[in-house]
Amino acid sequence: MNPQANLIFIASLLLGTTITISSNHWIMAWTGLEINTLAILPLISKSHHPRAIEAATKYFLTQAAASALVLFSSMTNAWHTGQWDITQLTHPTSCLILTSAIAMKLGLVPFHFWFPEVLQGSPLTTGLILSTAMKLPPMTLLYMTSSSLNPTLLTILAILSAALGGWMGLNQTQIRKILAFSSISHLGWMAIILIYNPKLTLLNFYLYAVMTTTVFLTLNTTKVLKLSTLLTAWTKAPSLNTMLLLTLLSLAGLPPLTGFLPKWLIIQELTKQDMAPAATLISLLSLLSLFFYLRLAYCTTITLPPHTTNHMKQWRTNKPTNTAIAILTTVSVMLLPASPMILTIV
Amino acid sequence: MMGFVLFLGLCFVIGGLAVASNPSPYYGVLGLVVAAVAGCGWLVSLGVSFVSLVLVMVYLGGMLVVFVYSVALAADPYPEAWGSWGVAGYGFGMGLVVVVGLVVGGVLELLVDEGTVNSGGLLSVRSDFGGAAVLYSEGAGLLLIGGWGLLLTLFVVLELVRGLSRGAIRAV
Repeated sequence: MNPQANLIFIASLLLGTTITISSNHWIMAWTGLEINTLAILPLISKSHHPRAIEAATKYFLTQAAASALVLFSSMTNAWHTGQWDITQLTHPTSCLILTSAIAMKLGLVPFHFWFPEVLQGSPLTTGLILSTAMKLPPMTLLYMTSSSLNPTLLTILAILSAALGGWMGLNQTQIRKILAFSSISHLGWMAIILIYNPKLTLLNFYLYAVMTTTVFLTLNTTKVLKLSTLLTAWTKAPSLNTMLLLTLLSLAGLPPLTGFLPKWLIIQELTKQDMAPAATLISLLSLLSLFFYLRLAYCTTITLPPHTTNHMKQWRTNKPTNTAIAILTTVSVMLLPASPMILTIV
Repeated sequence: MMGFVLFLGLCFVIGGLAVASNPSPYYGVLGLVVAAVAGCGWLVSLGVSFVSLVLVMVYLGGMLVVFVYSVALAADPYPEAWGSWGVAGYGFGMGLVVVVGLVVGGVLELLVDEGTVNSGGLLSVRSDFGGAAVLYSEGAGLLLIGGWGLLLTLFVVLELVRGLSRGAIRAV
């Protein structure tokens, strides 16, 4: 793509995210969301492949509809209460509409249908931006309006997200779709604790963003897009694949890796709030996603895959891994002992 | 007076219905014209005449003109019209959805009981063109952000449609 156009799109992504995060008026929040939606469209459709164009179209339609719902909920609230403050959303209809609007923006079930196809149609780096950076403005809005959202609806959406994120990821062979479903189930975990302790939602989001960034960047280094390629990717960068194993298990939420921390704290908070059945249900449903994480982890470390390779070890080594992957892998695997410190930061 | 405003609201919904059930964009845009004019009338009934004129100018004088120019370059030789049976069925289905929504949402009772909002008095001095004046004075940041959003839309559209047959729109 033209470098100047690329610069404008990346700068607009940063601008849109910053506008929404730093806003306290609903119109500013909506403006930031719309700028984000527009700016990422050319990045999704960069390769001009029909699948990429379809992904861009689906992304635009769902995000535009969700932004319209955000606008409707804020306008209904302004009509009834006379003010546009984000933290003062009090009208019940507005709260309900906003919950569904943010669910649509993030990709919570039952508004998740766009997410796997959009992630599959975009290149890996754009998929990374879609999974992490584009979730930050809606997550911020969720955090700011956490006291005004509908708790029943949010809990139902969360448990359904964990369920469908786990179940629908089971039959996938394309890694980007698997990561989309992993994102949906992680969003379920973030949504279930929002009413009781919004800071845990943010903690879960930050750690999820770090772990997903690691996975996406690692896959980008070895240019792996499907399971069959993953089976032979260890020849390109053996140590990187081993770290990918640990990062995937961290995403699954296994102790003693970092990914266990948000799940642990969320289960503890839910139990303290007399929501033990919900905690049990969402933990059991996460076992489904554990299965596909384990399958991915198996494919990263297998040394005798079922299909033939011409060589065991490439004689040309790839360019060395960049520093970002090293730092992010360390953070996403070894941060559990520092949990008290992390809790003070969030 | 209230009956006329209700008629405008009905025209707005029918225009939206026409856009949603359009057989081809050339006929759908007629529904958009009806909806825009009805919306303009509704805004005038609320008292904000400046915003209604801005709506008409931007919608009919800007957006529709650009739409007509771009459609004139890529015209269908035999577009499907309103009369065909598929379109009639589609329109009927959409109409059914709208009526069910109105009845379930209790809008018809509201329209009968409450009527429309009257915003007369000195407030109408500040509400619409006062707001536009603030946009250009203290609200310059929002003006710049809005201008950047429009410029960004231009770049996005140019990037999405460049490339002729190697680009996103391969039929051209």
